[in-house]
Amino acid sequence: MVIPVSRSFRGNRPETEGPAFLARADLQVLFDILREDGRRLIGPTVADGSIIYDDITSVDELPSGIGDEQAPGSYRLRRRDDERLFGYVVGPTAWKKWTFPALVPLTRATRDGHLVTFAPEQAAPPTLAFLGARACEIAALGITDRVLIGAEFIDPDYMVRRANVFIVAVQCTTSASTCFCTSMGTGPEVSEGFDLSLTELDAGFLVEAGTPAGRAVLERLPLRAASAAEQYGAAATVAAVRAKIGDPVPADGLHDRLLAQLDHPRWAQVAERCITCGNCTLACPTCFCTSVTQATDLTGAKAVANRTWDSCFSPGFAKVAGGSFRARPRDRYRQWLTHKFATWWDQFGTSGCVGCGRCITWCPVGIDVREELNAIAPPVARSPESHLVEPVAATPNEFVIARVAATKAETSDTTTLTLIGGDPAFSRGSPGQFAMVALPGFPPLPISISRFLADGIELTIRGAGPATKALCGLQVGDQVGLRGPLGNNWPLDRAFGRDLIIVTGGIGLAPLRPVLHAIIADRRRFGDVKLFYGARTSADLLYRDELEQWGKRDGIDVRLTVDRGGPDWSGRVGIVTHLFDQATWDGSNMIALVCGPERMIQATSTTLAGRGVSESRIHVTLERHMECGIGLCGHCQMGKYFVCRDGPVFSIAQLGDTFGREGI
Amino acid sequence: MAHAPVAARPRVGVVKFASCDGCQLTLLDLEDELLSVVEHFDIVDFPEATSARSAGPYDVLFVEGSVSEPAHLERIVELRRKTRLLVTIGACATAGGIQALRNWADHDAFRAGVYSNPEWIASLARSTPIAEHVTVDAELRGCPIDPGQLVELLTALTTGRRPQLPDEAVCMECKRRGVVCVMVSKGIPCLGQVTQTGCGAICPRFGRGCYGCFGPREQANTAGLTSHFQVAGDRPREEIGRLFAGFTAYSEPFRSMVTELGGVRAGHGTTTTTAPAPRGGKA
Repeated sequence: MVIPVSRSFRGNRPETEGPAFLARADLQVLFDILREDGRRLIGPTVADGSIIYDDITSVDELPSGIGDEQAPGSYRLRRRDDERLFGYVVGPTAWKKWTFPALVPLTRATRDGHLVTFAPEQAAPPTLAFLGARACEIAALGITDRVLIGAEFIDPDYMVRRANVFIVAVQCTTSASTCFCTSMGTGPEVSEGFDLSLTELDAGFLVEAGTPAGRAVLERLPLRAASAAEQYGAAATVAAVRAKIGDPVPADGLHDRLLAQLDHPRWAQVAERCITCGNCTLACPTCFCTSVTQATDLTGAKAVANRTWDSCFSPGFAKVAGGSFRARPRDRYRQWLTHKFATWWDQFGTSGCVGCGRCITWCPVGIDVREELNAIAPPVARSPESHLVEPVAATPNEFVIARVAATKAETSDTTTLTLIGGDPAFSRGSPGQFAMVALPGFPPLPISISRFLADGIELTIRGAGPATKALCGLQVGDQVGLRGPLGNNWPLDRAFGRDLIIVTGGIGLAPLRPVLHAIIADRRRFGDVKLFYGARTSADLLYRDELEQWGKRDGIDVRLTVDRGGPDWSGRVGIVTHLFDQATWDGSNMIALVCGPERMIQATSTTLAGRGVSESRIHVTLERHMECGIGLCGHCQMGKYFVCRDGPVFSIAQLGDTFGREGI
Repeated sequence: MAHAPVAARPRVGVVKFASCDGCQLTLLDLEDELLSVVEHFDIVDFPEATSARSAGPYDVLFVEGSVSEPAHLERIVELRRKTRLLVTIGACATAGGIQALRNWADHDAFRAGVYSNPEWIASLARSTPIAEHVTVDAELRGCPIDPGQLVELLTALTTGRRPQLPDEAVCMECKRRGVVCVMVSKGIPCLGQVTQTGCGAICPRFGRGCYGCFGPREQANTAGLTSHFQVAGDRPREEIGRLFAGFTAYSEPFRSMVTELGGVRAGHGTTTTTAPAPRGGKA
């Protein structure tokens, strides 16, 4: 971020070249100059528990030392620990209140017998100065300019109001949790569309002119050259705001992604929450929909047509004789969101959204457009292969040494080993991948990774044969050889914005445990998440502490069943597919991840198909004899695939008719 | 609504059923327009304003109040027969009024609890809106009605145009007027989102939540709002039920919310969640 240097200084031009500095005590001079020029000053002031824009005349009316805390459906003022005048983020008022007022008389008409007249109203708007316009708000003015005066037919009322405004921009030095200007490419830096811009520091403001009119005002201000420290401080503050906001709605390809999802079930889900009250549209600085209403006197001789703000969320907005074109709330939500983020581009060449976050904060029930967009039109995920990393030990004869840092007995025959060290590639591995684990004298074994750590992995191993029993018997401090991470991963990116069901039994939970960790770390990207897990007895359930936490704390619908009950078990008894019997959900927007013996997978996928989960959305991990783990030895071939290299995760659709066929 | 003027100087009646007369007073309070109204409308029956009486017929009949007594059942049918355009005014006439809270309670116990000689009181077990008994041509909502909407209806009648009585949320009016949302900025529960506007957002303008006196708007998502109050507001069910249990409680879908969540206190501090009797046919 570079604070641009004013292009020319005359009058009070500082001796040295560079940005100008206006002392805080001199801000009133700017107010007075603008008022001397005949402008009504509109700026931020505290009223009704918020910072609104209103008529102001004095610096004393600014929200000195007042900031705000914003979240979906919530706005609260808070005292700052400094006396900043612009230490808040955009509030409930949008500048369209003055450029595009809520009520505008359009035409006065009369009727006298057979004769009628229509007289257009001529707007005579006041000459205004907007003080404190933010980057997103200036971008919003640019957008409404395109819509209302940017083409062949223009709105004369808007044109004359807009032309009469002098804009004093303020660079954002703080952000709200609802901000996403960075994703929309509109801020936080103000770079154009202003007459003057201010960047606030504790002692005053860096000042820049953006137009000749702005320069003319700047030249009348008592300025000095800004110091290098002030310039750096200003730039660093705005850059920090950008970093803090991040990129909440990756916009790359959003137009196409959104329009490809007109039938997404999420429209109906969000419509259950949406009250269709219209607050988002009226708080939005770019929404421009209006309706014209007629008022008459009692004789009917005189009439006036008034234009008022309207909203595509009101059922009456799309009504014609016989009904509404967008009768269902989901239709209206979809209309709004697709217009803002997609079809606006087609109509006007820009996004309709500037990322100011007003629709999020001022939604009374806190619906977050960012969340809806990311769910309905998830950002393009990298293909699964692209984020699989090359292990250091890439050949069948290499191993990297890791050390046992902890052991935990999960059940009577199953142990989780925490292995520290090994291949650094493990730290970038993905859920579903496995490692080849070697002890001298034993054949290396493919073991699913049951947790990824910053400096190692966990493996959960059932001691079934000599090699696995040897691994289960390792003590803290013992070393093993590792190769990996190997294989592909569960396609979690496919589950963004969808519901997810995980079905598994016994040791099969191990390769799915990192999936649960990943979901919990980024819970809001996923819809409803269910875990159906079965074991022989309650003593054979893995990760019992975590199972409880996932269900109670992490928003996972955990359902357990055991084959054989006992005195310590009060839950379900029966095989895992019996857990579907009670369920009434619809799987049309669901991704399924299944791990278990092939017969169990078959039974589960048949059940899932019956609930609308298609074969392409059922992903399974297969078990085969693996020796090399990298597709060189031929042991694990299954039809056209090597399970170790092309899998172990496949969709049922991918497997086609090889799946479930005996002897493949 | 008719699209042609109802008459050169329409014969207008104003009558009441179970109500407080406040909506009739709104007509008298028009002040600026009152003389012009009398000039354009022949007010033939208006007990609140004049002792002159007419037995009808009426070009336009404004009906205030709910059907609450046995005698009302016949009277409203009789009035309907003599009326070209029947306009209900106020929450009592359009929704059953605050007195419809008894629809969730034991009517006999109420009567016995309030009156020393309950046998003298002839009242129905349920207070019901006029539209439950006869066809209604237009309604003005609110407790009381809004003078601006009344003038709009009257001027629309004289010119024969459709009155503009928008079926949209109170929020729209808040936003147009620059009223800061009380729910978002102060956490005050507000029914504005599910309530039909027309009041000019008077309650939020004074910093309090809308209590729904204009009744539910079209497609009012009361379930969504309730779920938000429960989840985000952490409010108990009964408290949410009480929000809906006001002047228009008996209008769907507020009615279902009251039935489902409770919130009507039936004397002596006890709460009943008994569902109201099934909706009766036209009398």
